Amino acid sequence: MTVRASVDGDDVLVEDGATALDAIRAAGAEVPTLCWDERLRPYGSCRVCMVAVDGSPAPACSTPLADGMEISTVDPPAREVARGALELLVSALPERALDVPAERSELVRACDALGIDRDRFAGARRSGSVDHSHPYLKYDPELCITCARCVRMCDEVQGTFALAMVGRGFETVMAPGTHGGDWSDSDCVACGACADSCPTGAITEPGLLDPQPIERTTMTTCGYCGVGCTLDVHVRDGEVASVSPSLAGPVNRGHACVKGRFAHGFARSGDRLTTPLLRRNGRLEEASWEVAIEYVTRELRRITGDHGPNAVAAISSARATNEENYLLQKLMRVAIGTNSVDNCSRLCHAPSSAGLIASLGLSGGSNSFDDFDHADCFLLAGANPTEAHPVVGARIKQRVINGASLIVVDPRRIELGSYADVHLRGHPGSNVAVFNGLAHLLLAEGYADEAFLAERADGLAELRELLADYTPEAAEEISGVPADQLVAAARIYGEAAHSAIVYGLGVTEHAHGTDGVRTLTNLAIMTGAVGTRDGCGVNPLRGQNNVQGASDVGALPDLLPGYQRVSDDEAASRFERAWGVTIDRKPGLRIPEMFDAALDGRLKALYVFGEDIAQTDPDSGKVEAVMEACELVVSQEIFLSRTAERADVVLPGASFLEKDGTFVNFDRRFQRARPALEPPGDARTDFDVIQSVAQGLGTDLGCPTPADAMRELASLAPLYAGISHERLDREGPLHWPCRSADEPGEATLYMDGFATPNGRAQLAAKPYLPPGEQPDASYPFLLVTGRRLVHYNAGTMTRRTDNVRLLNAERVEVNPADAERLGVGNGDTVAVRSRRGLVTLGAHVTDRVAPGELFMSFHFPDALANSLTSDAVDDVTSCPEYKVTAVRLDAA
Amino acid sequence: VPGQTVSELERRYARRGPAILELLRQVRRTRRRIAAADIDRIAAETGLPRAHVNGAASFYADLGFDDRAERHVQICDGTACFAARGGRDASVVETELRAAEADASTQPVYCLGYCYAGPAALDGESPHAGPDLVDQLLGRASPADPEIPFQSQVDEPVVFAGLTGGEDPWDAWHDVLAAGDRGRVIREVLESGLRGRGGAGFPAARKWQTVAESRTPGPRYLICNGDEGDPGSFVDRLLMERDPQRLLAGMALAAYATGAEHGYVYVRSEYPRARECLVEAVALAREHGHLGPDLDAAGTRFDVEVFEGAGSYVAGEETSLIHSIEGLRGEVAVRPPYPTDRGLMHRPTVVNNVETLCAVPWIVARGGAAYHRHGVAGSRGTKVVCLNERFRNPGAYEVELGTPLRAIVEDLGGGIAGEHELRSLQVGGPLGGFLSPAQLDTALGFDALREAGVELGHGSLIAIDERASAVDLLRHVWRFAASESCGTCAPCRVGTRRGLEAVESGGRAVAEQELLETMRLGSLCAFGRSVPQAVRSLQRTYAGELGVRS
Repeated sequence: MTVRASVDGDDVLVEDGATALDAIRAAGAEVPTLCWDERLRPYGSCRVCMVAVDGSPAPACSTPLADGMEISTVDPPAREVARGALELLVSALPERALDVPAERSELVRACDALGIDRDRFAGARRSGSVDHSHPYLKYDPELCITCARCVRMCDEVQGTFALAMVGRGFETVMAPGTHGGDWSDSDCVACGACADSCPTGAITEPGLLDPQPIERTTMTTCGYCGVGCTLDVHVRDGEVASVSPSLAGPVNRGHACVKGRFAHGFARSGDRLTTPLLRRNGRLEEASWEVAIEYVTRELRRITGDHGPNAVAAISSARATNEENYLLQKLMRVAIGTNSVDNCSRLCHAPSSAGLIASLGLSGGSNSFDDFDHADCFLLAGANPTEAHPVVGARIKQRVINGASLIVVDPRRIELGSYADVHLRGHPGSNVAVFNGLAHLLLAEGYADEAFLAERADGLAELRELLADYTPEAAEEISGVPADQLVAAARIYGEAAHSAIVYGLGVTEHAHGTDGVRTLTNLAIMTGAVGTRDGCGVNPLRGQNNVQGASDVGALPDLLPGYQRVSDDEAASRFERAWGVTIDRKPGLRIPEMFDAALDGRLKALYVFGEDIAQTDPDSGKVEAVMEACELVVSQEIFLSRTAERADVVLPGASFLEKDGTFVNFDRRFQRARPALEPPGDARTDFDVIQSVAQGLGTDLGCPTPADAMRELASLAPLYAGISHERLDREGPLHWPCRSADEPGEATLYMDGFATPNGRAQLAAKPYLPPGEQPDASYPFLLVTGRRLVHYNAGTMTRRTDNVRLLNAERVEVNPADAERLGVGNGDTVAVRSRRGLVTLGAHVTDRVAPGELFMSFHFPDALANSLTSDAVDDVTSCPEYKVTAVRLDAA
Repeated sequence: VPGQTVSELERRYARRGPAILELLRQVRRTRRRIAAADIDRIAAETGLPRAHVNGAASFYADLGFDDRAERHVQICDGTACFAARGGRDASVVETELRAAEADASTQPVYCLGYCYAGPAALDGESPHAGPDLVDQLLGRASPADPEIPFQSQVDEPVVFAGLTGGEDPWDAWHDVLAAGDRGRVIREVLESGLRGRGGAGFPAARKWQTVAESRTPGPRYLICNGDEGDPGSFVDRLLMERDPQRLLAGMALAAYATGAEHGYVYVRSEYPRARECLVEAVALAREHGHLGPDLDAAGTRFDVEVFEGAGSYVAGEETSLIHSIEGLRGEVAVRPPYPTDRGLMHRPTVVNNVETLCAVPWIVARGGAAYHRHGVAGSRGTKVVCLNERFRNPGAYEVELGTPLRAIVEDLGGGIAGEHELRSLQVGGPLGGFLSPAQLDTALGFDALREAGVELGHGSLIAIDERASAVDLLRHVWRFAASESCGTCAPCRVGTRRGLEAVESGGRAVAEQELLETMRLGSLCAFGRSVPQAVRSLQRTYAGELGVRS
């Protein structure tokens, strides 16, 4: 439905439901606005967008368009009202409000547009002192024009509700948090949406206090989590002055989080690696590129010569670009001749890959993030998106506030748990029992979509037989989730017309993580919620910016680029022809297998690209022994991480802000990364570093530029055949599969059939099996590890930014009942011991964790969570069981 | 709308807002001040964001963060009390109390509904009124709390049917229920021509139809707007205190017409007795089976909750009133969406004024045609006008619409009391406007008054004698506007302040006409849009004194 209106005499057609302002913009006309923001509902408070609507002055932003409406943006009386409103508004501000550079102040631009350089009204002005309490957000209440954009961004986009207008009449002004409190005492999560929207500079950030103009702005993709936010990086004097979420970003739609938006200071941190380091006499010393590369290649040649190519393995980087990952796996397969290349998805979502391929056919979420817009039910399992994937968390929260139902499956009381209709808090490691219990109820209560199952799925009979054992009572017995809550959850999920499953590492990082993925996926298949127009499918939240891409482009020991098996003769020969080498039909080593091989003496050289395995892999003591055992450990890094400290050679690479290429986000979108900065000192882009190593080995990998690498990848991997840098630059992000240059990319998968061998979804009859470790008398607690909002992964980036002013140490979460029993007070130092290690840190007494359970993050090296974690791994994919470790807790 | 997402949050999690204002009020009752710790505690108890609890606390005059003594006196600064004091505002009372070293904190308030007997004050929850107000407050005179005089000038009183001994208002309700005819209420009220008595004059039945036919899913709500904020009017207080059953019966009928099962009466906190009367009346109505679940064989249910305001004139505006019930700041929201589509908890909501609803039982009982016979074209039925203390015979009078003002002022009111002379007549509250004695031949009606440059508003007529100067009146109007502007839109938020500053600085605003035009055409709601009309009518009426070009 469209509506026809006339703007300054020109006819324009706009969507039904549009406003007069939409029509004006569609007609290419302009009116100044101040309280309007495309991310927000119309508010109509500033009255600066007054236009004549059918001859009478009306605010364009909040006037619904009617067919035949005549709008004039030049009508003198309406303009006079707009001018009057703006003059009044300006008259309450100090004069310096108009000294802000125009590109940072919509107010200044509105005054320019309406020809106001000073106001005609004398009288009282705003007063108030500047709040500098927050590291990233500075608030000057004297510049507040009470447009409430900050409050509304915080409410309607972020969902934190940290800001509000206070007072009334002339005294109305925004205030954060509680009465008289500082910004830093508020509930603010530093997403920056308020500063981003503020039209006057009342709320701004440190980098924009300097009035010097921004030199250039580069649109790129965030290098933190896997959400894939499009960011505009604003550079001045060779440094990032600020980062803002791009309104054009199809994923984030103009929103970001404390990491992507503010945690960019690491890029110019004084301890960035700027020159190669080589271990001499036990110490890492600076070396030239020539010397370092020569050393690496000589050692690699020696080791392959003495022990064969499979004595070398590489761990690729989920933070690097697709092109770099492609290049590294090509280096291993072409220059070394081994399939032993893996990436950290092994440690997080390998079970997703295996499980989703087995159940549905492809290694990725079935639906696009955009489908969440019409989801009426979210089943959120083992994920804490408001901290780990904040932009997704915020979107889900808004959908839920707007009426979608929410089922949370998580042992911990995460923030979204308080918004849930049902929060199933099972024991860690009991997912399969919970999902089977829900599946039992879907069948028992008639929620299964029999027609869909008959037409498009296999395995119902076996599943039905297995599920007979998973009555709610039986599931309760295993998981501790009350049977009535399981019934409630099954009904909510079953009743929903557009249900979405969203899950994270709480599902995968288990000894039976692949079973968890498959039994969770069963629920979507049983209700016909995947591969259908209505359903919103099964969507894993990926941890790192390009962990999806690293696997997509073949940094896996069993898969060539585009999920083509090394054992598949047809596929492997195609690569052999293209690359001019022979490819081993046997898979190489997975990361945990690499470690075992090193300890056995079978693996001699380990090339670690952009991963801090000594901090992030389980059982850190073992990892150190592995590095010790290898004859050559190369660490390609941007900081001297725990891994780099223990390496023989350290090659300085580039951060995401310095890279050219593409990342694939959690919903399978190829998005461009564009360099905003040069790598510091002698550091090189990782693309160039890998090329240098290949040249040192006497191999020409081809692909002189990242764009060439993408072109070669597209030519060899049918799933990405239609993707190129040129196309991404022209059209914006593309979902894979994208099989030709004229296909738009498949945002929603399986509409025409599943990608399994027979085209049908495969239900999985998987029984519950206990986790690798159980609490016992010596280790009575279960430790769950995970993430916190302001830090990221090993913390190498975020700990080098002012994010440490927001959180500077890890504290283990302990339930109040346990704390009382053990005599542990909030903030007390405690010792957490597992069978493998000991960590001493502060305690945070909170009911976020259930009795008998502990939680800590792995962001801080002085609280090395992974010195505790178990070496139990998923039986299918070798993904470590980070989520269940038996520990003991003592007051220290 | 700031707060809109919060109210969605409340709806989603059944965290209902009234608790916030009530919990804050409890703090006020027991302690001298509201502290940050109270905000945090109430936020934790209600599960609502503390920033928003803080925002709400800071908005309402009853709440706020100022220090108050154990004895807190609200001194009426309404136009009638202003006129009764000969053009002086509430500060003179505050000064006298301070001079007598009374151990009390004071606060001006608009208004207590004692316009017929002012000046008035509310000492805690005890009203005092009379020329000896200060003596009463200082214990030097016996406290007086005079009742509202009332009279109906129509043969068969409509709104005053109960007050004058007419039939039980619930009869109509039970007739309608017995017939099971939901359409009947809307049909009769449509035929009656009843327009809202709260000021805007919107046809009541049309509003109900919109809600009844709304495609927005979920419950419907009916809100009785008992926030009789217009200084000068006390009809709603009279009806809520003296005939609350009629109001509840009117609500039940309106609810039945619209499909609402839950109703609220929003009573302003300046009317503590009205609140008590309503609470008792609701209990009685439930006891007698007029309200509650299972009212008929079809399982019709309707219940009413009494909600107390917290001190805000603008809360009488319907979007603001809804925010207030939701426990949010009483800010005005842009319309559309209209409350009939997205109102309380974002559900279709009818907001009707007290007097409007009190006419409904009679209309349903006697038929719309009977009501329609009263009044004149466009202004059907009866209206209660309120005459202030300056009249010889102050009180509330039910008259037919179309009655000439002169008949009301001179015949019913008996003209100005004592030796004074009528200088001007303020019609429809501070935003209604001023008429000169020469304009008394105007008829009481929506259109006739608008033509004369004023608004019917709540139907208050405040006689102002020669003692109040034009500048005092102008200051009074601007101060009211600046005090009660909700602060949402720029023209009203800053404009009311600039207007007040201009009067206080002794001169006129540099760009007064431009200011008034910006406010009239640019303001978000009727409040800011009406201030210029009131100011201009004052300038016309007192053109000589103010020396304005008009």
